[in-house]
Amino acid sequence: MKDFVDFFHEIGKLKGKPRRGWVINNIKRPESIAEHTFRAAIMAWVLSKKKKNFNVEKVLKIALIHDLCEIYAGDTTPYDSILPRSKKKRAELMKTWPRFSNAEKKRIAQKKYKKEKKALEKLISKLPIELKKEIKNLWLDYEEGLTVEGRFFRQMDRLEDFLQSMEYWRKYKKPPQGPWWLWAREHFDDPILLEIIREMDNKFHKHKKPRI
Amino acid sequence: MEERKKFYLTKKGLEKFKKEYEALRNLRVAKTKGEAPKIWESEDLNPEYLSFQEDLNFLETRITELENIFKNACLIKHPFKKELNVINLGATVKVEVGEEKDEFTIVGTLEAKPSLGRISNESPVGSALLGHKVGDEIIVSSPIKTIYKIKKIKYN
Repeated sequence: MKDFVDFFHEIGKLKGKPRRGWVINNIKRPESIAEHTFRAAIMAWVLSKKKKNFNVEKVLKIALIHDLCEIYAGDTTPYDSILPRSKKKRAELMKTWPRFSNAEKKRIAQKKYKKEKKALEKLISKLPIELKKEIKNLWLDYEEGLTVEGRFFRQMDRLEDFLQSMEYWRKYKKPPQGPWWLWAREHFDDPILLEIIREMDNKFHKHKKPRI
Repeated sequence: MEERKKFYLTKKGLEKFKKEYEALRNLRVAKTKGEAPKIWESEDLNPEYLSFQEDLNFLETRITELENIFKNACLIKHPFKKELNVINLGATVKVEVGEEKDEFTIVGTLEAKPSLGRISNESPVGSALLGHKVGDEIIVSSPIKTIYKIKKIKYN
């Protein structure tokens, strides 16, 4: 039982870890990783109802564990490798979507994957073997898109980010929305999530349209 | 598992799935016989499959998933010479987006990984690029108007 208590204590740390994407945008009192997980899980559950032959239990478990590795690996953003120190330059950078060569994209993705895998293995190392394997497989499913549930949640996770960005934008006029739209139109392909994005646009950009 | 009409796959992608399928089936046989699997000695095998070793449920789900993929797979063929200048599935496209340059390979949803430059033919940008040629400018709007200038198209 001691190992369970240690595990629960460790994952509780996600409640106090602010999401880095909002920190670098100077958002006041940014949401924590646990708060992001909470809404992403509810969204995944609700929208899974629109899918046929879909394992809702699996998608919920994927949602719950997908960011556990960030306890030790930290949260990463696409801007990290090019982030200037000056606040002014940083704010300028946030108006653009960072683009890299395919070789650079691969290098960044591999580095992130290795770091997160190591962190997850450390976190679950003392758990019973069956549970350890289950968590690791769920995480791999999310990372690699091994099943329809893993692929769906991978986009779902980003959809929660996108919704949060719109909510902050309406409240604080940041983060700039242009880069989010550039990214979203290359990233999402699930028809249900694309429909949700159109509704989010109607709700948050009805009176004021975002600009590049 | 969600049913789909077709899964568009590159030759490389299909081969990767077939290799994984064979490895997992071998693992299932070894597991059923209670043998220690020796297939891990293969250099071709992704070491991550090791984690399926203790989990028959995941192993079976993945095997079923792969079988469904093969049943509905549609191989992306290399285009004829006269079509090499047109963007189709499998094309790697260099574009200019404003002042920035980027490169995408247009693939089916199973192989899409935008963080690695592989975008889905069903994404708004992927679908807008299909059928266009070098020199064309694609406008993707709603709600922000963005112009993608097509600079180069190549097929591997």
